[in-house]
Amino acid sequence: MKKVRVGSGSSGWPDFKDGALDVAQNGDIDYISFDHLAELTMAILQSQYAKDQMRGYIPEVIPLMRGLLPIWKEKDKHFKMCNNGGGANPPECANQVLKIAQDLNLGSFKIGVITGDTIPLSQVDELRKEGWKFKNMDTGEEDIGSVRDRLLAAYAYTGADEIIEAYEQGADLVIGGRLSDNSLYCGNFMYPLGWKFTDEYWDRIGSAVCVGHLLECSSWSAGTCSNLWEEIDYPKGNPGFPIAEMDENGDCIISKTETSGGAIRVQTLKEHLVYEVHDPENYLMPDGIADLTQIKLEQVGKDAVKISRYGDKPRGKPRPENLKFCLAYNDGFIAEEITIVCGPKVFQQAEKAHEFVKRRLDYLGLKPREMLWSLIGWDSLCGPTVGSPPPDYDPPELGIRIAFKCDTEAEARACRTECGHLCWASLGVGAGFTQPPRIRPVFALWPTLIPREAVPLSLEIKETK
Amino acid sequence: MAKKKIKLIDICYYRSGDKGDISNIGLMAKTEKAYEIIKREVTPERIKAHFRGWVKGDIIIYPMDNLQSLEIMLYKALGGGATKTLRIDQTGKAMGNALVKMEIEVDESDL
Repeated sequence: MKKVRVGSGSSGWPDFKDGALDVAQNGDIDYISFDHLAELTMAILQSQYAKDQMRGYIPEVIPLMRGLLPIWKEKDKHFKMCNNGGGANPPECANQVLKIAQDLNLGSFKIGVITGDTIPLSQVDELRKEGWKFKNMDTGEEDIGSVRDRLLAAYAYTGADEIIEAYEQGADLVIGGRLSDNSLYCGNFMYPLGWKFTDEYWDRIGSAVCVGHLLECSSWSAGTCSNLWEEIDYPKGNPGFPIAEMDENGDCIISKTETSGGAIRVQTLKEHLVYEVHDPENYLMPDGIADLTQIKLEQVGKDAVKISRYGDKPRGKPRPENLKFCLAYNDGFIAEEITIVCGPKVFQQAEKAHEFVKRRLDYLGLKPREMLWSLIGWDSLCGPTVGSPPPDYDPPELGIRIAFKCDTEAEARACRTECGHLCWASLGVGAGFTQPPRIRPVFALWPTLIPREAVPLSLEIKETK
Repeated sequence: MAKKKIKLIDICYYRSGDKGDISNIGLMAKTEKAYEIIKREVTPERIKAHFRGWVKGDIIIYPMDNLQSLEIMLYKALGGGATKTLRIDQTGKAMGNALVKMEIEVDESDL
């Protein structure tokens, strides 16, 4: 039976670089995928690109490729790679990787460069004129009119079509921009197994979408961030990244290398299968809609779990007509400050400081749009679910974190300096301070949909001379 | 039948994440019996009361029989979402920890 081995190489920026190197060196892989982008990263990369056309891609791609390409060269089986580290500037990212390939004398090395996922704001306006509303999928707001003047960047989450096309044209590495995390894996399963976007394959593509989800967060499926943390170990300090061996029927075994730490268990995969999927019967991705309730997990080895069919329904449905589209817009500034209260009576001191800060904001006429007061060591993570501290509870120290959101950077700075920082004055004797993080602009996201045909992607093959 | 108060953490594993201002919690039962209990006892109304104002929108629960898990979506739950929120836990990674402190009442024979 035809099978393909696809490794996970990265799940964001930054990730453990040695995880990818281990998978490439010891994982006997045919393909490896690298996701480098979080939801907000594209907006940041686009603003870098606007200032300097040599930037706008993920810099981490370069040292990663410097480590990987020598392994690629020495292997008889030249694995293929794809990433979305090109960000807002895939061509320049490819140029830099080609330089490494030349220096290493790799011989013929081809990079498929995918562009077109970044949509100019003028085109957003055109589509609005044609009647496309860009309804906000989170809030239900019908039209982007309320934020149009504050828009910074717009990008579509694209699918595996161009990855597959690049491989057909002989690419060894594919570099894209906002390629969906999941599609980086779907492309690597679909191309070698010959799966097409047609009725015959939606069940298997559903499985690919599911396994892609399991692989796209790298070590998160292999024991990091796990409920089993007490029993999972990293003897050398190197978490393992998952590797999927997919067969032509869409069944698969997920494992990891013996040279890495962590673990592949039914539980570590289950944790990821329920992670951020929303409606599990309709897990929407650009290449297909997976039904995650039709997936069975079964331990078949020490670090090996089989993924097969659970029910009698198909594991996938035809891909959505529209692509996910994100618009980033300016939404003011956030300033924060942490002060550590020294005991005794930490809660009483904090309460007094809270009152002081509220009075002082009034006294100075400062009106932050939002303010959040939280106590590190008590409610900063779980909020009001923790209730009030018991009367006899007095830990040796307690952190006060104050965060402000204001329309302008100057207001945010005034709130932080005058009220956030100086709140220590109302505390008892002895407090600790940290260097506050930089005041940050808020890039808010407006998640919506865009018709596929409005995102004209192009593919260019660059190769070593 | 003797009743007993337990916390969800006694019978479940959990992991949580985000999409925009939506918090998403996967609640995984440790046993088949535990799955029957959480399907019955973990309701949108109880979750909403447990979060005491931190969750401002609707709550939807999707059962996953194949994994003996509940996929729980909390709308308007992260103070505006990762990029806008003032919370220190910008992406709601600890919302699962917050949920499993919730108490439920079960028959002792169910455990």
